[in-house]
Amino acid sequence: MILYDYVLSASCYKVRLMAALLGQSLTLHTVNFHPAREHKSADMLALNPKGTLPVLLDGETVLTDSADILRYLTRDAPEWRGDDDPWLALAADLNESLGMARLHDILQYDVDIDAARAAGVKQLRKLEAHMTAQRFDGHLFLTGAVPALADIACFPNVSLAPDGGVSLDTYPSLRLWMRAIRSLPGFIEMPGIHRLHELEFPE
Amino acid sequence: MDWVAVGLCEDVPARTVVPRRVQNTDLAIWCSTAGVFHAWGDRCPHRGMRLSHGFVRGETLSCIYHGWTYDGDGACVSIPAHPDLTPPKSICAAQYACRVQDGTIWVALQPTQAAVPELGARRAIRSLAVQLSAETLATRLKQPFGPVITLGGAHDIALAVQPSTDTDCLLHAFAAPDQDRKAVSLALEHLRDELEAAA
Repeated sequence: MILYDYVLSASCYKVRLMAALLGQSLTLHTVNFHPAREHKSADMLALNPKGTLPVLLDGETVLTDSADILRYLTRDAPEWRGDDDPWLALAADLNESLGMARLHDILQYDVDIDAARAAGVKQLRKLEAHMTAQRFDGHLFLTGAVPALADIACFPNVSLAPDGGVSLDTYPSLRLWMRAIRSLPGFIEMPGIHRLHELEFPE
Repeated sequence: MDWVAVGLCEDVPARTVVPRRVQNTDLAIWCSTAGVFHAWGDRCPHRGMRLSHGFVRGETLSCIYHGWTYDGDGACVSIPAHPDLTPPKSICAAQYACRVQDGTIWVALQPTQAAVPELGARRAIRSLAVQLSAETLATRLKQPFGPVITLGGAHDIALAVQPSTDTDCLLHAFAAPDQDRKAVSLALEHLRDELEAAA
């Protein structure tokens, strides 16, 4: 499988993280998204007319939507699947709010930044309330006691919210949820999301 | 305010560190492997990195930037780039008084003889941020301004108020032990919506 990838993209990271947690190997084809806008080049548009990343290539299969790619990667991993559609819809909303706020702040995207941040805070509050209720039931993840596609879909844009000027300081349940994901065997990092250094300490 | 609640113990389990802000002072609240809580200034004396980005190993907190490591007294005990150096005693993280009572972490920014506020026979529910100053919050609740606001009602809710900035506070909510935590949590969401919407 070839992933057309940009290291700072939250949506590309979703795919890399999902594959890493599943133990699947990806051949990364780095696309110079910024500043060269290589995702809009003739070659890339021939592959994906939308001109977006990520793009996953597996033989004849070409997938250009991160939600579709997550479904594709987990097609033989039912333990990661559940009632995914509402969570994938939320992940898309997070990309439009927190994700766009981040692109505004780090890559100068033309975005209504106040509206993007306000929408992001509203979604974070809903997620925090949900995860607080999950913790009352003893669950560490969005849909239960074990990690699921839902978690991986939502995790990147939530974790990177501070890059878009949205603080995560006051969301205790989301912080513990993010920590639980970062504790998973096979977890990989990206710029802005680091691994748990305390786990490497022998005790 | 003498003592300010900064979080619920269950939200800061062993080997974690969280950022908190009290009256515009940034704090790193951390819990050691043995379960000892600390409240420090959220700033590494080396390069000013937020210590709340750091990591807890054993009874020490390390900075994420260059790994400078501080013991439970705030003293620097290790500088990875100079493994043979015994760090001078002058390298020290800023420390604040920190107490645990009623499953809650309390901090005093100034030395105080006062007792930690009582929350009565209630159990912790959750913390939630409100985009209002602590003073405005008290006014809208029609309650006197103070570290703990007792609302009573069906859930017998009490709120420990953490004044974060001039425009934000963090509420740590408690309710009667027989109340359903999910129901109280939902009630708190509605209360926040009402308070923030009230002009």
